[in-house]
Amino acid sequence: MERFQYVRATNVAEALTLLNQPGYKNRPLAGSTDLLLLMRKKPDVCDRVIDISLIPELHRIEQQGNHVIIGAAATFSEVLSNSLVNQTAPILAEACKTVGAVQIRNMGTVGGNVANAAACADSLPALVCLNATARVLTPAEEFNWTVSELVLSPNKTRIPSGGLLVSLQYPIPPLETRGIFLKLGRRNAMAISRLTVAALGRVDISGRIVEARFVTGSAAPQICHFKDVEASLIGQIPTPELMLAAGKLATEEMTELSGTRWSSEFKVPALSAMTARALARVFQISLEKVEAV
Amino acid sequence: MKFTLLVNGIKMNTEAPADTSLLYLLRDYLHLTGTKEGCNIGECGACSVLLDGKLVNSCLILAAQANGREVKTIEGVHALENDGPNDLQQAFIDYGAVQCGFCIPGMVLAGESLLNSNPNPNRTEIRAAIAGNLCRCTGYQQIVDAIQATAVKRQEKNSRG
Repeated sequence: MERFQYVRATNVAEALTLLNQPGYKNRPLAGSTDLLLLMRKKPDVCDRVIDISLIPELHRIEQQGNHVIIGAAATFSEVLSNSLVNQTAPILAEACKTVGAVQIRNMGTVGGNVANAAACADSLPALVCLNATARVLTPAEEFNWTVSELVLSPNKTRIPSGGLLVSLQYPIPPLETRGIFLKLGRRNAMAISRLTVAALGRVDISGRIVEARFVTGSAAPQICHFKDVEASLIGQIPTPELMLAAGKLATEEMTELSGTRWSSEFKVPALSAMTARALARVFQISLEKVEAV
Repeated sequence: MKFTLLVNGIKMNTEAPADTSLLYLLRDYLHLTGTKEGCNIGECGACSVLLDGKLVNSCLILAAQANGREVKTIEGVHALENDGPNDLQQAFIDYGAVQCGFCIPGMVLAGESLLNSNPNPNRTEIRAAIAGNLCRCTGYQQIVDAIQATAVKRQEKNSRG
């Protein structure tokens, strides 16, 4: 017996109509890599899937003014190979490269990664670091939330029932901004993130830090900017000691958000080192002398 | 639900439940059993096929998503002149890249997918390209050797015209 029905939407308006058609428990289907597994475990998730993966406008990646807009059904492969993304947000391309393996990247979508909102979702820290916003449509309304507002807690978002995440957009960072995305997993491919960090920053002519953005994934229930880390860097001259101190601050902020957990014994030293290394690479300084442990 | 797919260049029609995965449609309805079921959760790559030219896990995709589209399975990979192995498959044999053989259909398609997009890959790129395909026999070295040797041979052949 069929556990669910399948309908393919050809455009966004049709997808919204189908998603809100009464008499069905509908769910949008994009890459299918998460939803198919979920439906095998929980057959009552929906009784009809609306396939949005072949809607051309949801694959578009384009610049509008100072923003880059990424269609929600753009696959990880499409995003990581896109020249506009590579020029304006290499950390997002890097994050997409770390997802699964070729097969998963060819199917899985950035929109799906956000809407599914796993605590370990690789694109989320990069998107939050880029101050990305998400555009969500319902038949009557339009919402524009920052990605960190959209994701409430693991696997929980603000997307209303019958709503559809249609695109993600980020303001293009100033030209001199440097970014780093690091992922810690058991192996290079097909690994669930143990920790990820995304960092962006730039210095002014005098060499002082004028912008510092720092976000971690898999460290806290919510993906957000680590404000103490960011504040500790602004106005400072980058030094190895400053980076190490930021690493320590990051672990304190993580503990504040998540409490002490079974994994803390591992995550605290790991996050401390990853933070210092990521920031050192953003601000182009060497940690070699101070890091000799 | 009615299905029409272009599988290995042949238009195939069948009827199956809407919740059938592409893997089960290929194996149970179209009787193309070259595509293997390993983990059925997208971890092992044994079920890899090309959908509109892109490598995907057929266990993680609905047959309905592939409806009206082009699928290439291992049955569609063979020498042009006969049904024997093509150059990549022959290299797998020559380099001892096949032991139990269960992962090989997926490995060959991952290799073909890589060589289609990158005709001259280095070993790191080959390893990244087959990172989603698990092999519990060979330790991968021979598989990487076979793909690399095929890349070199194809390039030589192309440069000779």
